[in-house]
Parts: sequence; structure tokens; C-alpha cells
Amino acid sequence: MATNRTCDGMVRRDMLKAGILGGTGLTLASYLRMASAGEISQAKADRAIFIELPGGPSHIDTFDLKPNAPDTHRGKFSPIKTNVPGMEICEHMPRLATCADKFAILRGVSHTLAAHELGREYINTGSRPLPSLEYPGYGSVVSRQMPTPQDIPSSVAVPRVSQGPGFLGLKYASLETNSSPQTGRPYEVRGLSVGGNITIDEIHRRQSLLSKLDKRFAYVESDRQLLDGLDQFGSQAYAMITSKRAREAFDISKESPAFAKQFGEDSFGLSCMLAIRLVEAGVRYVTVQLGGWDTHQDNFTKLSEQLLPKLDAGLSGLFTGLDQRGLLDSTAVLVSGEFGRTPKINERSAEGGRDHYPRCMFMLMGGGGVRGGQVIGESDDTASAPRHNAISPDDVAASFYHNLGIDPQTEFNTETGRPITLVRDGKIISDLFA
Amino acid sequence: MQKSRSCILSSHSRQRTTFGLVCMTMAFASFITLRSTSYAADGVDQSAAVTKTADVLPPLSIRFANENASETPDFQRHVGPLLGHLGCNGRACHGSFQGRGGFALSLFGYDFVADHKAMTDEDSGRVNLEDVHESLLLYKPIDEERHEGGKRMDVDSWQYRVLARWIAEGAEYDTELHSLDRLEVTPAEIVFGGASGNASEQLRAVAVWSDGTREDVTDLCRFTTNDDAVAEIAASGLVTSKDIGDTHVVVAYDRAVVPVPVIRPSQVDASQVARPADSGHMIDQLVKQKLDKLGIVPSEVCNDSDFIRRASLDLTGMLPAADRVEKFLADASPTKRSDLIDELLKHPAYAGWWATRFSDWTGNNEQMLNNYLPVRGMASKLWFGWLQKRLADNMPYDKIVEGIVTAESRLPDESYREYCETMSNICRTSDTEAFADRPGLPTFWARNNFRANEDRAVGFAYSFLGVRIQCAQCHKHPFDQWSKDDFDQFAKLFGPVRANQNNVARDAQPEMREMLAAIADGKKLNGGELRNAVTKALSDGQVVPFPELTVQPIEPPRNNNKNARDKNNKNKKMAITPPVLTGRILGESDKVAIQGDPRDALMAWLRSPENPYFAKAIVNRVWANYFGIGIVDPVDDLNLGNPPSNAALLAYLSDGFIESGYNLHWLHREIMTSDAYQRSSEANVTNAGDKRNFSRHVPRRLQAEVLRDSLYLVTASDKAESAARAELTGLAISGDMNPSRRGRNDFALQIFGQSTRESNCDCDRSEQANLLQAIYLQNDIDIHQALRQNGGWVEQVTAAWPKSAGNAGSAADRGAAMAKAEERMRIRLEQRVEQMLKMPEARQTQVRQRLKKELEQANAKRAEYGYQPLTLNELVKAVRGDKAANAEDTAEDATKPEAKRKGVAAEEIESAIKSAYMRTLCRHPDQEELAVAVTFIQESDEPVSGFRSVVWALMNTKEFVLTH
Repeated sequence: MATNRTCDGMVRRDMLKAGILGGTGLTLASYLRMASAGEISQAKADRAIFIELPGGPSHIDTFDLKPNAPDTHRGKFSPIKTNVPGMEICEHMPRLATCADKFAILRGVSHTLAAHELGREYINTGSRPLPSLEYPGYGSVVSRQMPTPQDIPSSVAVPRVSQGPGFLGLKYASLETNSSPQTGRPYEVRGLSVGGNITIDEIHRRQSLLSKLDKRFAYVESDRQLLDGLDQFGSQAYAMITSKRAREAFDISKESPAFAKQFGEDSFGLSCMLAIRLVEAGVRYVTVQLGGWDTHQDNFTKLSEQLLPKLDAGLSGLFTGLDQRGLLDSTAVLVSGEFGRTPKINERSAEGGRDHYPRCMFMLMGGGGVRGGQVIGESDDTASAPRHNAISPDDVAASFYHNLGIDPQTEFNTETGRPITLVRDGKIISDLFA
Repeated sequence: MQKSRSCILSSHSRQRTTFGLVCMTMAFASFITLRSTSYAADGVDQSAAVTKTADVLPPLSIRFANENASETPDFQRHVGPLLGHLGCNGRACHGSFQGRGGFALSLFGYDFVADHKAMTDEDSGRVNLEDVHESLLLYKPIDEERHEGGKRMDVDSWQYRVLARWIAEGAEYDTELHSLDRLEVTPAEIVFGGASGNASEQLRAVAVWSDGTREDVTDLCRFTTNDDAVAEIAASGLVTSKDIGDTHVVVAYDRAVVPVPVIRPSQVDASQVARPADSGHMIDQLVKQKLDKLGIVPSEVCNDSDFIRRASLDLTGMLPAADRVEKFLADASPTKRSDLIDELLKHPAYAGWWATRFSDWTGNNEQMLNNYLPVRGMASKLWFGWLQKRLADNMPYDKIVEGIVTAESRLPDESYREYCETMSNICRTSDTEAFADRPGLPTFWARNNFRANEDRAVGFAYSFLGVRIQCAQCHKHPFDQWSKDDFDQFAKLFGPVRANQNNVARDAQPEMREMLAAIADGKKLNGGELRNAVTKALSDGQVVPFPELTVQPIEPPRNNNKNARDKNNKNKKMAITPPVLTGRILGESDKVAIQGDPRDALMAWLRSPENPYFAKAIVNRVWANYFGIGIVDPVDDLNLGNPPSNAALLAYLSDGFIESGYNLHWLHREIMTSDAYQRSSEANVTNAGDKRNFSRHVPRRLQAEVLRDSLYLVTASDKAESAARAELTGLAISGDMNPSRRGRNDFALQIFGQSTRESNCDCDRSEQANLLQAIYLQNDIDIHQALRQNGGWVEQVTAAWPKSAGNAGSAADRGAAMAKAEERMRIRLEQRVEQMLKMPEARQTQVRQRLKKELEQANAKRAEYGYQPLTLNELVKAVRGDKAANAEDTAEDATKPEAKRKGVAAEEIESAIKSAYMRTLCRHPDQEELAVAVTFIQESDEPVSGFRSVVWALMNTKEFVLTH
């Protein structure tokens, strides 16, 4: 059961009654019934941006501060007010504080996997990792479930994804840019940009030559599935490589300086701007990564001097930019690392650090049907555990998919024919959409 | 065709411990009989077992046809299976791990104790002995409204009466298991559209219990089809014919799983189809027997060019060299194909390619061995080299496996220090050969995903048996005989083997601590720091400690609970006899003690000729390498419900393989010399749809490593190419590009589906095509660079071709640089001559003298570069000729003033194109292709760039990317 607690006295509607969600969660039938009855709001988003924070950002220093906790836990940062009364975040994110109405904070998200890769797999799929099966990351599921024009990649990762397409197959793999945009440098994507001394004219000439030479299987009746598949991928690749809009979607230099200014000069901010361009061009799912959160040592210096300013610029740019472009209502946003960090400060360096801590972490969600400016869930006095009911990564996944109009109970078959429920155990956090 | 097998669970979690662990005692002798019967059911002699109907108990539907039936149904034989038949214990219903509505049954039944308990739980009201008809077990499934699972039966039905009668008689269960001897299914094979012309056929299943009872259980069986496009099967056992083709329907009851072949032959008139001559090869005869049943005529044998390409790619993972192809095509020897096979078996690429495949099957994954050895990437490299040497030596397959299964870290007389010295040297110098000389591969046991007994059971069965037993970890295998108890017993066997990264033998521990202390040098280091220090010490030439595999007998559990002990002491001393701990090999009745090293027994079992899987698994995998599909498919899923498409063929090959002494060369040669392997990909009217009976070559995308290496070989300089061919330098099949951490692999290998080797599944490797691959081939920087690289093949071939000034940067290649210098010089001279010719005669004479001097200097330089001297007359002629030629094309000349001047002779272009075809597609271009390519190059701004585009296009053809 997702939590029904609020933070700082904000007024909220009651949760779904426990009975409805008992057992294995919503069945498809009941889900549809409730959705049509308006008990769960209809999905509004048809694209998504996932901001991944690999390494595991400290929750108690960012979005779940405990100013009254003892010295051993509290840390060096103070909370500041945001533009939403009662919603407070860390002082090192002043710009994000001006747009808190555009996202919801989830506190007391909890799981048990304290290793980076396992935790990441869990957060990226909403299903606890199994040795026998690799679940698909969100982007691959979205690719599989939502159509995209031929010359536009359906899922893009800047620069990479943590979680591949798993049992859905490589066909649904995200296009990984393998690089991030840098200030003052032109940006290009592996294989998609026209480079290597090849001109567009030459690409067209080559294609026409290829169509004349690629004849061996042209009149073969058998094996059409494979042959047609190759032809289709070939022409789609050609379409994308030569598509002006595909190329321009990646060309952040096309943004006006005024718009670009909001994202700062850091590569992460530029990646967030790129994400907006991409979803605007019709890309269904964009992953942007900002790493470096594994602050076992020098936690506070790293956060205040590097990580939080980057995150502040990028995220505030993202939410504000989406809103300016009129995309916030159609773009589901999720921000998460693989776990939180130990509320008790370790003594491994002079100023102390924090270690892996999956039991209590934060996430942000916004866009689509998510009502911004609210806090969902609550941790205890030292941010060591959820105060009441934990929110599970499964619940978050179910809600994220729901926001995109994908039924979390959708069933897929693995390559070996094993039927798999998309999100096994997750329950939609209905307060998000209230 | 999507087959529904493997685990049928949506929630299949190793972490789940709440699920009842109920051990069952099994009469294993009958288990064995059961297996052999079921095997016999696959295909041949089933009808002999059919008995006189008189002895057979009629089905429950008849015995309970009316109210007054007085028989008491049996829980194991009737009630349990009936619930399965009604769908109660399905995955979505009460068979789910959480159950439904508080009622949980074991998935697919067979956990009779738990199921009986769940049904008769006193407080549940499921069984009401006082008021039978008020039992939920009866009351729910007859009512749409009250039962979430809907209506499953009528009140007035035999099913209802069976359940009611069982409850009325006390709802009992005799925990002594009935032992099913066999399940006889008739007909044993169904051929539709033959003489009978029936569109559907009813199956009948008779259970034969070990006490001799025979009972018609058709009403109680679970029926499934392996391909519903060919045959559908109803819950009643009625098989309905669909499309042309062949498949199996599978009948399951109690522990028995019986596949029944269903065939619908091709109705096409084959009289016009040319029948290829019989080869006399045993494989061809066995394939033909099946094809005849299907009405399929196989394709002709492929041509020589297809053969050498296919054979080289399949057997060695390497595109044949252009000159070898030429030689082969010109060879008139009747035995040239088998000679080529022999030659390829000796090629170093053979061992490289098959070490790649064996690495897949044995799970050679650096990520799973992270930090096991002090040098990153070393563990997988050594693993690969170990396999590579054995394959190059053609060591018998069972010996290779023995080296893995019974691996020891130390040699018999090796001290721990000596072992560490040797391993330190090996890792420091990357001495794969020295490691390959050691008899064992203990790293197989040291993988992170091969630590828990359950993981080992699954992984071991995957690697050496081609069996997926993971289903039985939680529930009865839906398509095989394995019960959860079989799994647990098997998993226990692996307990004594220890191989994690800190493990050393007890007597070696002081030595190890000493070494570590020396390395730490008095500093207190944490885990990561110590690892770094060890790595540094190693590279500094020190001996560093290495982990080793040890076998620690499993001691019987002692009573460690202090309270309980005290309590015992207070009362009376209990004589505790420690039980002998045992495990059990899959399908065997004898138990194996695990108080010693169980691996010898495992190896002996693998190697025993009666082993139903060991030889078949590898034979099937090797076969699939050549045909793209196994005789059993999926390749790593040998199970009763997934029978071979050609059982006789699989039996012939695996018997032959065992007889040959597990000789892999025999197996490759036997397969490749058959016409079945050498068939053309060109289909006829009868076999265009055939993909599983080997009547033609079915094209498939080149494997990741093979495709990546092909791109490399096509574009590499002669020097790089010969190093690659001789030493595998730069190739993926050298073992230098093993999959590492997710997302950190070679880009091309990653997108073309190199096996990730992480989940005990042959599906870790992908042969699927996708968009990223097309983008890569068309426009990746790898491809552009390969075609433009200095000294690469394209540049070699076109070294003497004129290039535009903008392209003059190739200083690395002297030849090309000289060609460019020569070209510039010649252009300059020609321009001077052109200017001169425009001057008045008198002035021309003067200039002519000056030019002659310049020409002398130029010729000296040209001689240095190896070019013939030019005369002034030649230059004049060239300029005048050019002018004449260009007169008609002044418009183009205006924009491209130098275009025509830099022409390359047509013969030279043609010859380059022919080489490119030979290199990429292993054949000559036909006249039309040649004309297209020549024209393209001539129309290009620059001939070199035109040629580059031709090579690009060839690498992007389906003909290049696919086998054929």
C-alpha cells in the first residue's frame, strides 16, 4: 500500500481504499473498470524523460532534509522554502525551488538491494532482478508499446542506459548516444550524424547504388520475414541518417540563447535541453544520466560544489523548459538514483561521507497526469526508514507506466515463451494523479 | 512460431521462500521406466503397447455419468488431475504463488501433500464433510457470480460428481504415491490429409500404474500443442489440423509427458520438382525419411562459391581469403569440398571460433569473475585460451568437459606457493598458453552466478546437458518429468565445492596471509585498496596469492540451538545418529554422498553411454551452428515435451559421436559432408516454408563476431589481413573481446548480439536483425574509417589512382603519398604545357627549353618514386587530347575542371571491383553488376571515393550480412 501520509500538513485526498489494491494488486479488469470510472485518472503523457542519477544520491541532503535530526545524521545543509508552501528542499538547489509546483517529491521509497547494479536494475524496471531473467528497462517497454515515425528513434539515451531491453529483445534497445553535449561544441550521435567525410549527396548516391547491387534475394519467395526485416531496417536507418528533423532533433545549437541559458553550461544541463528537443521531435523516451553520487567520502563538498549545482540547473531547466514548450502535460518525468545514502554520517574522511542505503530514498515525478507541488510519503525523524508505509520501486514503476497509458499488468512473452507481467507487484500511487 | 515452454510463471523468484518445500519420496526405479517409455512414445513403437480395451478402466466421464456412481475417486489419480484439467491450478489462478482468494495449489499439480492440505484445511470450508454440497470446492466453480475464475463446471456433470463423491467419502489422501509406469497415447503419430483425410483426430490416453491397473485418463490429461499454426488441440484431446507442416502435441498426466508427432504433408504437386540425387550419406537418408513423410523435395546442392563461403564462416567463423576462393573455384578435384573441410579444421580460426561458442555454453563472463584474478579481463582471457588449445588439439569433448567439471586449482604435487608463483607469472605476462597447459578450469566454478547450489544445478544442466531445469526449482516442470524434489536433490550435490575469490585450502591460509601482509607492508588496507596493492605487487614482479577451488565435505547438521541442547540434556541424552548426506543426479536412482567430492560421480554419469543428454546436447548445439536451428529447438531445451524434429537423426549423430570417442572433428566432418548441409538456399515449391527439416539452406544473419571480423577482414590492409588469418590478430574470435560489463563491450559486437553469457541460456546470443545494426553498417564511424584508413585495403587497391588534393593526408602510406606527389607534379607540368601552347610560337620555343629543364628535375624525382620518365611530347599530347575530349563537356568542366583529367583505366576499375566482390561475397560479379559498379565509379567526382562507395554497398548487401 502506498503511503497516505503527507508532509508538512498539506491537504490531500484519501488514498484508494486498501481492499481494492490488496493481494496481487489491480487486475486488468478492475484496472480498466476503475480507470473508466475515473477512480484512476486517465493517462495524459505520451512520452517520457528519465533522469537517472547513478551512484545513489543522498536523500537526507537533497529532498528529504531533517533539520532536527541529531548531529550524527543531520548533515551540513539547511532546507529552503520553495514556491509551494510547505514543500522544502536543500538550500543548494535554489532554482529548482522556484519550480517545485511542477514536480512531486516521493519520500520513503524503499527496497533492499544495496549493490549498484542490482539496485539500478530494480529502479530501472520496477521488478526485483531475477538471476534467470532480465527485465526490460522503461525505454524499451515504451519503444515496444508506442509507435514512432520511421525516421525518429523511439528511445534515446544520453549517453547510455543502465538497463537494456532484457527479454524484449534488442529490437527495442534504446539508441545510445555514447556521448553528452558539451558547451561550445557541435553535438553528434554515433551513426546518426553525417560524418566521416561523407556528404548527404554521397549517402544518397550510395543508397541508389546499393539498391542496384542488393539483388541476390530480391525475388526469393522464402524467408521473407528476415529479408523484409533487413530491408525495413535498412530503409529506416537511411531515413534517419538523412532526415533533417532527426538530425536537427540532436542539434542543440538550434536552440535560442535565451532558452539555452536556463540550462547552464554543464553537460548535464545541455543533456536536459537535448531531452526536450528530442521529445518535441517525437522521441518517446529519453534517458539522461548524471553520475557521481557515490559519495562515500567528502559527501558535503561533492554535493554542494559539484553535484547539486549541476542537478539544480539541469532539472529546473528541464521542468521550466518543458512547461514553456507546452510539453509538460504530455511528458512524464521520473528522477531517481538506485538508492539513498546512510543517514548516519561515516567518518571515512575529514568531513564524512554516506554509504549505500536502499531502505529509504527519494524520487521525483512530474509531467503528464502527475500533480506537481506535492510530497508523497514520509520518512522517520532521521530519514532512516519510511515513517509509515513504504513506497516500493514497483509502485513507482506501475505509476510511471500508468502515467504513460501503459497498463503495468501487461503481459509479455520471453524468447522462451515464458509469460511475464510487466510490473509484477506494483500498485499505482493514485495520489500522484489526484 | 512461439513455443510456450520453460517456466510458465509470471512470478518466478528465487527469493521466494514462503512456498512450501515439500519433499516427496519417490520410487525411482519406476521413474526410470517412465522416462524410457515416454521416450519410446516419441515416434515409433507406441502401438505395440496398446492393449485390449477390455482391461482398461473406462474414463471417469463414463464411470461418473450418472448420479449413482459408487466408486471412491483417488486424490492423486483423479482429483488432483481433474483440478488441473478444470484449470484451477493454473498460473493465473490458484496455481499462482500467492494463490487466489486465499486458496493456493501447486502449479501444475504434483505437490499432492500441499494441495491436499490446502483443500482440506479445516477453517477454509473448501471441503465440508457434513454438508458436502456446501463445500467451496463444489460451490464456487459452478457459479459465475461467486467465483472470480468464472464457471468451471455444471452441477449436473461427471466432474462435479467426482469431486462430490470424493468429499463424501472423507476427502482422503493416501500419502503413499502411486507409481505411474507409463502413459500410453494413441494414435502414436497423426498424419493429416493422408489416406484418411481427417481434419481432426481424437487422442486417447491410458495410464498404466505399476500395480497393473490400466485406466483411460483422457479426461484428465493436460494437452498442449508445440505449434498451433500446424495443429490445435482442445482440452478434450481432439487434435485439429491447421497449416501444412509438422509439430508435436504433448500429453501430460501425473509425471508422464508424452509428445505425439502431428504431420500435415505438403499438398503441392511435386512432380515437376527436380529430385536431387541420393548421396548415400547417412544424414541425408535420415533427413529424407522425414521429408518424404512431409512431401518435401530438398533443394539442390549449392554452388562452389556458396559452399566455400558458408563452410568457412560456419566452421571457422572467418570469411575465406579471396585467393583461396579463386583457387577453390578453379579446383577440378571431385573431393575438393571434403578436402576444404579438412583444411579448415586445421585452421587456427577453427579453434578461435569454437572457443567462442564453448565460452558461450560454459558461461565465460568477465563480469561474473570480477576481482577473481588480480588483473582485469584476465580470467575470461585465460578461460578462452584454455578452451582454444583443447579445440586446436582436437581433445575429445568428454575430456574437455572433465577438465572443467573435476577442475582443481593446484596440480597434484604443487604447493600453494608454487601455484601462486605460476599463476602470478601467467597473469603478469598474460600467458594464456601456460594456463592452457594446466589440466583444469576451476574458474568455471568461481563465477558469481555459479555460487549457490541452485545456480550451479541450473548452470551445470545448461552447460553440459542442454536442459532447463530451473522450472523445477519451484514447481513441477510443466514439460518434463522433473519435480521440485529432483531439483533439490540435484542441487545438493554441488554443496561441497567452494570457489569464491577469497577461498584457499585450509593449509594454505597462513601462506596466503603472509603474502598479503608483505604486500600491505604494515598498512591497514580496506578491500579495494588491498586489491589495488595486490595488482601493483603483481606487476612489480612479486608473487601474489591466488584463490583456489576446494572441496569441503558437507557435515550433517548439528544441533546448534543451545536452548534445545540444554533441554535435551535436562531430559535424557538422545542418541543422535548423523544421517549420511546425499544428493541425486538427475533421473538417477542411486544417491551420491556429498561428504566427499561428488564431481567424479557427476563426470562418470555425464560420460556414461546411457546418459540421455550429454552427447545429444553438444551434437544438437553443433548442428544448430550449421543449420541455424537445432534438431531440438530451442537448442538448450532438451525435454520430453520438446522432442527432436528428427529423433533418428539426433540419435544417429549422438551415437556416432560417442563411438568416435567424442571426436569433435568427426562430428563437424560428418555434418558438413552431407548434402543436407550443402543444400542451396534456393527453394522449390515444396520446401519454401520449411525451416526445421533441413530441406534447404535457410539464410541467417552472420553471428556478431563473424560479421564484425568480416568487416575487418574486407577492409584491412594485406598485412593486417594476413596477421588476422594466421594469428587471429585483431579479430573478435581471438578471445580478446569477451563480453565484459554491460554496455562496455565492443560496439559492433554488442549491437550484433554477442552472447552476454550471463543467464544460462543460448538466447544470450542474438542473431536478430535490428535498426541499430543497419545504422551501424550504413553510417557508423567504424565503417567510414575502415574504408578510409591509411594503408587499408581500399587505399592499397587505389594507390595509383588519382586523388583530389583535399585527400592528400595519408602520410602513413608512402606509396599513396608518392602517388599524390607524382600526380600533383604531373598536373603542374600539364598546366605549364597548356599555358605554353597558348603562347605565340616564338615564345613557345623559349618556354619549351625551360620546361625541359623542369621536366628533367621532375623525372629525377619520379625515378625516386619509381615512375617512368615523362617526355615533353607526351605532356603535349596529353594536354591536347584532354582538350579534345573535354570540348563536348565544357559545362561540367567549368565546375569540375580536373574531373576528367584524373580518369582511371576501365580495366583497372573492373579489376578492383572484381576483387571487392571476391573479398566480400566470395564470387565474381555478373556483367550487369560490373557495369553498374564501373559506371558508378566513373561518374564519381573522384574514382577512389566511388570505389569506396562500391565496397560500402557490398558490405551493406543482404548477401554480405546473411549466410547463403
